[in-house]
Parts: sequence; C-alpha cells; structure tokens
Amino acid sequence: MIEVKNLHKSFGDLHVLRGITETIEDGEVVCIIGPSGSGKSTFLRCLNLLEEPTEGEVIIDGQQINTKGVDLNKVRQKLGMVFQNFNLFPHMTTLENVTLAPIQTGLMNAAEAKENALRLLSRVGLQDKAAVYPSSLSGGQKQRAAIARALAMNPEVMLFDEPTSALDPEMVGEVLDVMKGLAQGGMTMAIVTHEMNFAREVADRILFIDEGIVLEKGTPEEIFDHTKTERAKTFFSKVL
Amino acid sequence: MEYLIGIEKAFTGIGTTLEITVFAVILGVLLGLLIALMKLSKLRILKIIGSVYVEVLRGTPLLVQALIWYAGLPSLIGSMGGSFTWRGIEVVCGILACGINSSAYVAEIIRAGLQAVDTGQIEAARSLGLTHHKTMRFIVIPQATRIILPALGNEFITLIKETAVLSIIAIEEITRKGILWASQSYTFWYAYIGVAIVYLCMTIPLSRVVAYAERRMAVSDRS
Repeated sequence: MIEVKNLHKSFGDLHVLRGITETIEDGEVVCIIGPSGSGKSTFLRCLNLLEEPTEGEVIIDGQQINTKGVDLNKVRQKLGMVFQNFNLFPHMTTLENVTLAPIQTGLMNAAEAKENALRLLSRVGLQDKAAVYPSSLSGGQKQRAAIARALAMNPEVMLFDEPTSALDPEMVGEVLDVMKGLAQGGMTMAIVTHEMNFAREVADRILFIDEGIVLEKGTPEEIFDHTKTERAKTFFSKVL
Repeated sequence: MEYLIGIEKAFTGIGTTLEITVFAVILGVLLGLLIALMKLSKLRILKIIGSVYVEVLRGTPLLVQALIWYAGLPSLIGSMGGSFTWRGIEVVCGILACGINSSAYVAEIIRAGLQAVDTGQIEAARSLGLTHHKTMRFIVIPQATRIILPALGNEFITLIKETAVLSIIAIEEITRKGILWASQSYTFWYAYIGVAIVYLCMTIPLSRVVAYAERRMAVSDRS
C-alpha cells in the first residue's frame, strides 16, 4: 500500500506538486491523467524517490521512505518502474537486462534469475528475443522487455510513466495488452497515461491532476461520464 | 637517397618518442581519472581544484610547461638553497611534462564520457534497487568506456606528435635527431621531411585503428 500525505515538489521557483494526499490500496489499478506539465510524472517519480519531495510524506507499507536512515534500495525493490523511453541497458542482451538486478541485489542466484527471466520474457511475448541486444528490438518489444525487467524483482507495485507515449501507434496495443494482463493478475499499479480508453477499461480509480493538485478522482465512470470541473471537461473535449 | 638518410636519422629517435608517449599516457590517464572524479565530485573544493588544474594546463602551451619543468623547477630549487638537475634523466622530465599536460585533456575526455551516459540509464538501474556503486559498475562505466576509449586513442596519437616539443629540452627523440643531423649536414629539407615521414608512419596506422574501434563500439550501442 502506498500513501502520500501533503506531497509538495518544487524545482527551483517552479512549484510542480502543490499538496497531494492519496492512497493506493493493494491490488488497485490507478491511472493518473491530466494535461502535460501538470505534475503527473513528477508525482509518480516521487513514489520511488527518483524525485525527492520538497515537503510531505511518502509511506510504503506503513514505512515513511522520504526520511533519513531508510534503505532506499530495499524500498525500490518493491516498486517496479517502467519509463517512457524504455531505458533498457544497450550494452546487455534482453536476458541480461532482466537478470541483472535480481542477481546483483542478491534476490536470486544466476540460475534462478535466468529461469525467472525466461518465464517473464515468454509472458510478455519475447521468449525468442532473450539473446539479442535492445538495438534490434522494436519500440513495443523494448517496452515489453522493460516491463519484464521490472517484474523480475517481484515488485509489489508497478509504476508506469507514460509507457506508450514514445511508441509508434501500431505498437501501443501490444504494450497495453501486457499491462492489462498484469492488472487482471492482481498487480498493484500506478499508471501515468494519455490512453483514455485504456484508463477507462483497466483503472479501478482515476486521478485527474492539474497544476500540481488532484482536481478530480473517482471511478472511470465518475471521471469520464460525470465530470465535475470545467478544467477536466475542457481537457476531455480535446483528448477524447 | 638523401630522403632515406633523413628517415633513418629521424628513426633513431623513435624509441625515445614511444617510451615518453607510452609512459606519459599512463600518467595522463591515472591523473586524468583522478581529476575527472574531482570535477564530478559533490564537494565544491574538489570541483574547484579540478577545474583550476584543467584550466591552467590547457591554457598554457606545452612548450612553456616543459620549460618550467626542465629549467624553471631546478632554478627554483636552487634559489631555495637546494640542488636539482634533470641531467641524465631528461626523459623523466619529458614524461612528467607531457603526462601532466595530457592529464588535463584526459580528465575532460573521461568527464564528458561519464556525463554522456543518459540519466535515464541511471534512473532505470536505481529504480530496480541497484546501489549507486553497482549502477556505476554495471551501467555507467561500461557505457562510458565505449565513448572514452576511442577518444583516449586519439589523445595517444596527439601525444606522439606533441612530444616533438621536447626536442627543445635536449631529449633526443625523433625531432631532435632530425635537428641534430640537419645542423651537421645542412640538408634541412631531407632531415625534416624524414622526421615528418617517421611521425606519419606511426600516426596513420594508429588513427585507422582508432577509427575502427570507434565504429565497432558504435554498432552495439544503438538502442
């Protein structure tokens, strides 16, 4: 379970997050939507402390993590992250990308990590790409490999930061399908996305973020069909 | 025929030139790595020391630096009541002058190489729970090496040519051998063409090797 309390983040004079208090329950799929520059990605990146909040608390499984003395590496092992630009390691094969972290963090030995990686790669449809380098994968394949890499640490939560925004349109579906599979399997997920139809389909709850605060939240029906604020209505009229 | 003699005379200095270059590169890489890490350090004082070091060495001619080491330093030690001379160990002076000069350029090569690694790579590694140390070891350094190694190869080639300035401090490397023969025989044309050819015989093959390495490393690096 992830809790954030009164989360603020500034970059210099730029006040990106202006007080967010939110809870993501175990097994919940939360989609975070909103205009560009609204702070969606910053919010997500604060959850595993890739960005350090300026103010407020981030609490994972009851433990505040943005405080001194926390073993952040241990905490991050519980939170898998998938990036817009994939960020696969170009000097390693797909298999090595997936096995690196479990081996180096001591989670698994080499044989276990390999077996686990091959299982995950076949789950995302890349069983025949284990031995190749990321440079020979398509965008959709790269992102699926990146999902397998994050899953290899057996995370409790998966964070997705605009996972399909850098993809050619024809490759968006294959990545979303993998994510749907995860959601159906009960994975706790926080997804920053511009794919409204996807959000409507998989999300238990949607957060509409604008100018650093959660402007609206609720079920997909509440958000899309019974929009309350003018700001969100304007946004949907442009993207839907 | 005179051309051959020119080449032959210049060639007698090749051992000294290579000896100085190899040791200067080793010194340059070790010092350069240290300075690069200082410049990337979070400690302000280390950053400043690193920056000043690079600025001073890149902002003055190697010839002047060589003169300071060779003639200036013994004179300073003498004026303070000590006694020191490079006589007999001029080569060591040459290695020091070239190695320290080169370290400033190497520091910038290493710093740029480390900084060229995409921050997304570091974020991905850290998000998986890898420590800073393991992220450096498995992600940053292997990728930076692909950028740094070819540049270091070019620095080696540059240094082979730069050692020519050591001819002024009585080190009998390639250029000095040419000067000596020219002033004996008055065949300036053949002497210096010979010197040039000997340098080319080293630099052309080496730059081919570096270009090949550059291509090889670029191939597996496109993500």
